[in-house]
Amino acid sequence: MTATQSLLAVLLTPLLSAALIAFFFRRMGKVASAISVLAAACIFVFSLFAIREARNETVAFSWNWLHFGDYSVSIGFLFDGVAATMLTMVGLVGFLIHVFSLGYMANDQGRARFFGGLSIFMFSMLGIVLADNLIMIFIFWELVGFSSYMLIGHYLDTDEAAAASKKAFIVNRVGDLGFLIGIVYAYWHFGTTNLSEMHGIVAANSQWVSGSIAALLMCGFIGKSAQFPLHVWLPDAMAGPTPVSALIHAATMVAAGVYFLIRIDFLFPVEVLQLIAWLGTSVAVYAGFCAYGQNDIKKILAYSTLSQLGYMSAAFGLGYPGIALFHLITHAFFKALLFLAAGSVIHGCHHEQDIFKMGGLLKKMPITAITFLIGTLALCGVYGFAGFYSKDAILIAAGLGNTPVFVLLTLGAFLTAGYMGRLFWVAFLGQPKSDSASHAHESPLNILVPLIVLAVLSLGGGWIGFWPEQLGAIIKDNLDHLHHMEGYAGMHKTVLVAGSTAWIVGLVLSLLFYGAGAKEDRLEQKAAPIYGFLKARLWFDEIYGYYVAKIQQRLAIFLSFIDIFVIKGIFVRGSAGLVGLVGICSRSLHDGNIHSYVYWFLAGLLALWAAASGIL
Amino acid sequence: MTVGLNAFILVAALLFAIGLFGVILRKNTLVIYMSLELMLNAVNLALVAFSRYNGTMDGNLFVFFIITVAAAEVALGLAIIVALFRLRQTVMVDQLTSLSR
Repeated sequence: MTATQSLLAVLLTPLLSAALIAFFFRRMGKVASAISVLAAACIFVFSLFAIREARNETVAFSWNWLHFGDYSVSIGFLFDGVAATMLTMVGLVGFLIHVFSLGYMANDQGRARFFGGLSIFMFSMLGIVLADNLIMIFIFWELVGFSSYMLIGHYLDTDEAAAASKKAFIVNRVGDLGFLIGIVYAYWHFGTTNLSEMHGIVAANSQWVSGSIAALLMCGFIGKSAQFPLHVWLPDAMAGPTPVSALIHAATMVAAGVYFLIRIDFLFPVEVLQLIAWLGTSVAVYAGFCAYGQNDIKKILAYSTLSQLGYMSAAFGLGYPGIALFHLITHAFFKALLFLAAGSVIHGCHHEQDIFKMGGLLKKMPITAITFLIGTLALCGVYGFAGFYSKDAILIAAGLGNTPVFVLLTLGAFLTAGYMGRLFWVAFLGQPKSDSASHAHESPLNILVPLIVLAVLSLGGGWIGFWPEQLGAIIKDNLDHLHHMEGYAGMHKTVLVAGSTAWIVGLVLSLLFYGAGAKEDRLEQKAAPIYGFLKARLWFDEIYGYYVAKIQQRLAIFLSFIDIFVIKGIFVRGSAGLVGLVGICSRSLHDGNIHSYVYWFLAGLLALWAAASGIL
Repeated sequence: MTVGLNAFILVAALLFAIGLFGVILRKNTLVIYMSLELMLNAVNLALVAFSRYNGTMDGNLFVFFIITVAAAEVALGLAIIVALFRLRQTVMVDQLTSLSR
């Protein structure tokens, strides 16, 4: 198989699987899940083929899809080092999560629908990874939006899931509007939307870089990667099944926004990069604070995801797309692990999600607890774990480039360790605090194996020296660049000390403050206003709710009034009524009496005469 | 004694007016038809008078045309009126209003 054929196989396998499930196996959960898992395995194998066949070279393939006059829309692949790295991660994590879902969703009524959704998601996600032009990215971008909508709303008989899926979809549309305008603008500006061609134009003359195009395309990223101010959908999206939260809302889809930025990083001028860096930093700190106000294990992880996405965009904004990609990959490993372990906990505790009702799970579910601990340590950036290397690189880049960002990101690292410590100490240590937790049991093997594999990856995934040479070239370049910058050695020591202090202090303080296996949130008891403030999450949902109900709704009523009275009443009905009136009048002249026709004939003759002689 | 052009025009105008009022006021289709013919012949009279007055043949030429066409029209029109009477048993225009339906 050539590289192109392998890539086609990668893209079409999940589509085929989704089509098979949708058309033939909608009622057969077992068959559907087998097909979907098999497809996920095939994706991973085919992507390895593709990477081997590409032999470290960029594979570009383009096929004309539609012609409009002298404009054509093409579909194609741009398979370079970045895409190869992302493809491997998506294939691997996707496969593991598929296997996990086998166990987690074993007793679900809508299993076939769920696995069909996973397959269509894999198809759309891989489309984004491989796409070679903005329009194709946009098409698959919307497809991941759709599959995310479908999977968040999997438990469709609960109002929460229905509202959350709608919210995710609508909030994403807000960002996508900017994205779409950006694509049109880019086509008008460059005459093409092909990534390599645009890169060529910009590389030849940097005058072509346009801040507005970059800012507009950034809107798509803000929506998909849940950055300020469109971050509100991600915590709500946790209403979906846990494997979905792991796959879509932690490891792959939300990271697709960052991946998209990395693909088009040549389009970004310094000002927009600064903006992205500050957006990312603010969301990293903000989400860190919000996590303290949550008791739902998945919501805490969701805010953690927001915060880590903030780190990625900060790294990108500081001018290191490779380091952003590095953190994206390691984050995918440990955040998928954390979500899956949380899923295993939820599965074991009979769908209990409140951490203050768990407790003592370390004894009941040792493997889950240990893998969760590994994920926690990786997320906190403990030396040697995957998260350490990428987070360290981001902090060094910030320390060398932008001191305020560095300080805030270090604060974010401290907050991360704090809320993760709170989660781990409360949920896994001490005594069980509810019936469901005391009857907790270790999960079956098909849940544990993905956990163990991901735990190994969270441990060793950051050892970039051991990565295959085809992967992560851009990461190594960026790291090398960082290593040769002035002041690297000193900053490296500072970051090592600051980062380690942050996680040690965070974990210890949270243990001392909350206590192992606490029954109640001590912050809520001791300092209710602060807790309330954190829980309110800066009232974003309320502000948006107010905006929608009071401002947008009124505007909509006003527009509807204009629609009904002016457009419908005056223009449409009015013109029809006028014509009808003329018709009624002229019909009354038509009485069938020859004499009246003669009169009209005479009147017409007179009028003609008058007109001809100039009287009229 | 020579009759002046004005006399001819006057007679033609009178004939035309009689025909016009006949068309407007009378109810019998046959009479309306005769009135129409009267109007045509009023025009013929005026044309012949003009032709004579100018010493050219233009007006006469028109008159021949009009007489020919009027003859054909009378044949057709009378046939229609006869057919109408057979169908409806009347030739009164106030009873012939089926065009409005």
